[in-house]
Amino acid sequence: MYMASNSNGDRGQHWEAQIRKGSLELAILASLWHSRLYGLEILRSLSEKSQLDVAEGTLYPILSRLKAEGLLQSEWVETEAGHPRKYYWLTAPGRRRAREMAESWHTFAASLADLVQPLLGGKQR
Amino acid sequence: MTSLAPLTDNRVESYLSRLSTALAAVGPAERDEIVREIRVHILDSVSNATDAAAAVDRVLRLLGGPEELADRYATEHLLARAGRSFSPWLLLRTSWRWAKLGIAGTITFFVAFIGYGMALALTVAVFLKPFMPSRLGMWLGPKTLNVGVPDHPEAMRELLGHWFVPVIAVAAFAFAVGTTQALRWLISRRSSSAAHPMPAHDSGRTQI
Repeated sequence: MYMASNSNGDRGQHWEAQIRKGSLELAILASLWHSRLYGLEILRSLSEKSQLDVAEGTLYPILSRLKAEGLLQSEWVETEAGHPRKYYWLTAPGRRRAREMAESWHTFAASLADLVQPLLGGKQR
Repeated sequence: MTSLAPLTDNRVESYLSRLSTALAAVGPAERDEIVREIRVHILDSVSNATDAAAAVDRVLRLLGGPEELADRYATEHLLARAGRSFSPWLLLRTSWRWAKLGIAGTITFFVAFIGYGMALALTVAVFLKPFMPSRLGMWLGPKTLNVGVPDHPEAMRELLGHWFVPVIAVAAFAFAVGTTQALRWLISRRSSSAAHPMPAHDSGRTQI
């Protein structure tokens, strides 16, 4: 039985990782909603606010693509650290896309929440 | 520029130089920009650490190997370009690269392969028709429909006659355009599935 429960655990984790992966683009755009951030700040913001632990090797290529798609813009800015940092911000199409994604995410999550409510019993009310 | 201890610095420099070499697929300006950004990221990640060597270990592990990181950049770049492109060659290359990352990419590649394959085969048939006017056709047999040169034409009936060239040319064009549109749609609606599994952080939370 150990193996069976172990593989269920793996699958559960895999499923969770898939959901997080799918939400990553939205999370990155959302983290830039209020302010300009550089890569490390985006990682920290994702980790603190949404518990999304994103590896740097995943984040930077996606930032590069979002910029190529015109959703982000970037600029090197001199900082007190002694070296410039590359700051990212949302373009107008980026803000539009972020809002659309947030709306469909919200609608989807709300409809699913009703469906799974009975599964949680009295745990979450 | 913040500086590192010489040994640590060597490891970082060697990482960055391998990254730069591996980034040959993206343009030179873009490549320098990426290397510069990753260099700053490493410096920032290490700057306040008490154990600089361990901090460098950690950040290099989270970045993944230089070749692997370069590969991710190349994939993301292809996906960004292909979503806006009408070039069959770029769409085919992108779907092939994407196919290596999972099921959505694999399906996309099959669509590309079969769709463009049909378009190519029908185009070849159009160009061969003048050389074998009576043998090449759209043949209807008892159980088969076949565009080409059948082994036993006596048992089959040719359907198109003089219409073969225009009808098959239009069909080839429709396959090419339809496949291109389908690929553009599949590629531009992808989620961030190009994110690959990465080595785990130490927090015990699911890492992406």
